[in-house]
Amino acid sequence: MFFHNFKYTLKSLFKNKSLIFWAYAFPIILCTFFNLAFSNIENSEKLNIIDIGIVENKYFQEDTVIKETFTKLSDKNNKDQLFNITYTSLEEVASLLNNDKITGYLILTEDSNKVVIKNNGINETILKYVTEEIFQTKELITNLATNTIKEEIQNGNYPIDYEKIYQGVFDIIQNQEVKINDISNKNLSYTMIEYYTLIAMSCLYGALLAFTAINRTLANMSHTGKRVSASPVKKWKLILSSLLASYVVQLIGITLLLLYTIFVIHVDYGTQILPIISLILLGSAAGLSLGVVISTAFKISENSKTGIVIGFTMLGVFLSGMMGITMKYIIDVNIPIVNILNPANMITDGFYALYYYTNTDRYFFNIISLAIFSFIMIIISSFLLRRQKYDSI
Amino acid sequence: MTVFKYFFKVLNSYKFFIILTTVLLVGFGCFSLKTNDTTTNFVANEPTSIIINEDGDNDITKNLCEYIKKNSTIKEINTDEDSINDAIFYRQVSYAIYIPNNYGEDFLKGSNPEIKIKATGDSNSAYMKMLLERYIKIVNIYQQEGLSESEIIQNANRDLEKNIEVEMTSKINANSLSQSTFFYNFANYSLLAGCVFIVAMVLSSFRNRYIRKRTIVSSTKYTSFNKSLFLANAIFALALWAIYVIISILLVKDVMLSLYGILYMINSFVFTICCLSIAFLIGNVISNKDGINGIVNVLALGSSFLCGAFVPVEFLPSSVLTIAHILPSYWYIQNNQFISTLETINFHTLKPYLVNLTVIVLFIIGFIVLTNIITKHKRKEN
Repeated sequence: MFFHNFKYTLKSLFKNKSLIFWAYAFPIILCTFFNLAFSNIENSEKLNIIDIGIVENKYFQEDTVIKETFTKLSDKNNKDQLFNITYTSLEEVASLLNNDKITGYLILTEDSNKVVIKNNGINETILKYVTEEIFQTKELITNLATNTIKEEIQNGNYPIDYEKIYQGVFDIIQNQEVKINDISNKNLSYTMIEYYTLIAMSCLYGALLAFTAINRTLANMSHTGKRVSASPVKKWKLILSSLLASYVVQLIGITLLLLYTIFVIHVDYGTQILPIISLILLGSAAGLSLGVVISTAFKISENSKTGIVIGFTMLGVFLSGMMGITMKYIIDVNIPIVNILNPANMITDGFYALYYYTNTDRYFFNIISLAIFSFIMIIISSFLLRRQKYDSI
Repeated sequence: MTVFKYFFKVLNSYKFFIILTTVLLVGFGCFSLKTNDTTTNFVANEPTSIIINEDGDNDITKNLCEYIKKNSTIKEINTDEDSINDAIFYRQVSYAIYIPNNYGEDFLKGSNPEIKIKATGDSNSAYMKMLLERYIKIVNIYQQEGLSESEIIQNANRDLEKNIEVEMTSKINANSLSQSTFFYNFANYSLLAGCVFIVAMVLSSFRNRYIRKRTIVSSTKYTSFNKSLFLANAIFALALWAIYVIISILLVKDVMLSLYGILYMINSFVFTICCLSIAFLIGNVISNKDGINGIVNVLALGSSFLCGAFVPVEFLPSSVLTIAHILPSYWYIQNNQFISTLETINFHTLKPYLVNLTVIVLFIIGFIVLTNIITKHKRKEN
């Protein structure tokens, strides 16, 4: 009888088009949208070569230091190329700025040097900063060289080789070694969180499958339930086989989603396969047990139960960062208890721990939390399901 | 009147959904207001950073910390490694600077001590790296020149304080306009999910087999029935649009009560009509409510992701934007983006805006024609 009910629950779940859409197709469609929208976002935030203009007048032509430094910064063969420079007239460069073809331009005049930009922004700030640095360096060279020349005069070291002094100062500045050691973790792609929340959503949507399957066995929820309840079959066999069937349907859906994210979207889950599988198995169990509780605790229509599952899931994934990763950070830092109790965050944070952290403490904390959540849900539902008998319904 | 009343009776059962989309819009609208800088002068970007100072309070280290504080926004977070790692990953901090023990002493001895950092790898962290490198280079030069600690600090600070003149050509309040654009871009989702879903659902209720049969045998004329239905739909759509406009006025008053505001209102009004025409098409073609739910979700989320309602247009790949041309949302969002960059408003400068509006109107005509063709065909089949 166990296998019989398992088989027919499986069949009825697979034939429920709406359920299959929400459990299988919708996460994959959403994942595709995420990929289309987020594929470029992190690259756009990196420092790319900035298009700028320089007014090519006699003051610029005569200033060798400024001219050579900008030439070096815009050299295509330089691995640290920062600018792509258009040297042209004031009218032309102003028109380029007006049409958003350049971030800004530099103009050197007799009495002042000026950076002209259109709006505020990081590229504009960098243009201003680098230009300032070039002028500061130029002044520093002059000051240091002047001091050296003064010293040479005071010491009576004639004749003074001015060119050698300038070159010496220039070399000192150029060859300054800056010891900055970047110890950041290399896995810094924050858009991964979006995909992790999607897996979490998919796991919790398992609740829809669970309560649809359980409703088939509840006399107060469906005609099939009335017939099944009247049959001489042990209730635990019916419920267990129904749950197992919905678990199988759910795992197939999540496996499809996982394979799609790995092979099509190229989502990075880290390198540890077994912990990933364990997280998905426990996450799905959490969704399933949640569905059983909602199915048995609330004596309301199936549509209302669907509303509760979707509402709970969406709130959970919202707090764990689906609609913006900042939300997860804000909750984690300010109200950590909310995300400690949030099953969507347990799954998301478990994946985050595997991707970003080298130690597994955080991962195991989430795994244990999911196991406790599922256990509590199962205990509650077993109490609710016990001794349900109807003389008439 | 019966049809009109029944429309609003069915509508009432979906009030939760309307509230949800509106709350989302208000939530995201408020989120866009987190920066309230309304200046039209140049303001340098300030990366967020944290300093983990293991050296103490000597003058060289203190001056380095002061320099970092002056050029960046120091984030107050716990300085344990997990908190720092999380802050870097979630982009709450662009740059974490670890000043090692004995940094000041080692620096004065000329050993050029190493500074460890953690960075997000984006433009802000690249800028912060430039700032730090410049500081280290300058103090190193003066140290090598044999100056004393106080002279190094004095000279370095003097050099670093020299600024260049910056002129900003745009005189528009880009920040307020970008907030309005953010709001109206997000309204793309709220209008599509709210208006299309509700109207299509209510229409599908009217297409219920039994209700349709009762309507046909009733004394109500077919034209009168359609007129009432159209009027009820129009009132609902206009009310939804008006609510969103009022919310936008409350959130960004200065922009919405100017000519820019009128442009946002006209654009969103035409788009609301477009949503209504899409709802008519879906509601008339699909009678299965689960089907409508699925289609509207995919349409609303898809249009919003592909056209730049959720992710700023400048971050979307060009291939995605090319595909997005086939969606009315693209033209609506392009108009919002255009308004935020408009320096002067006159007929000549408004040409791209009018072109985009015309495309949305063409979409409306297309959807109405398609709805008529399909319903005519279905009626013949029946």
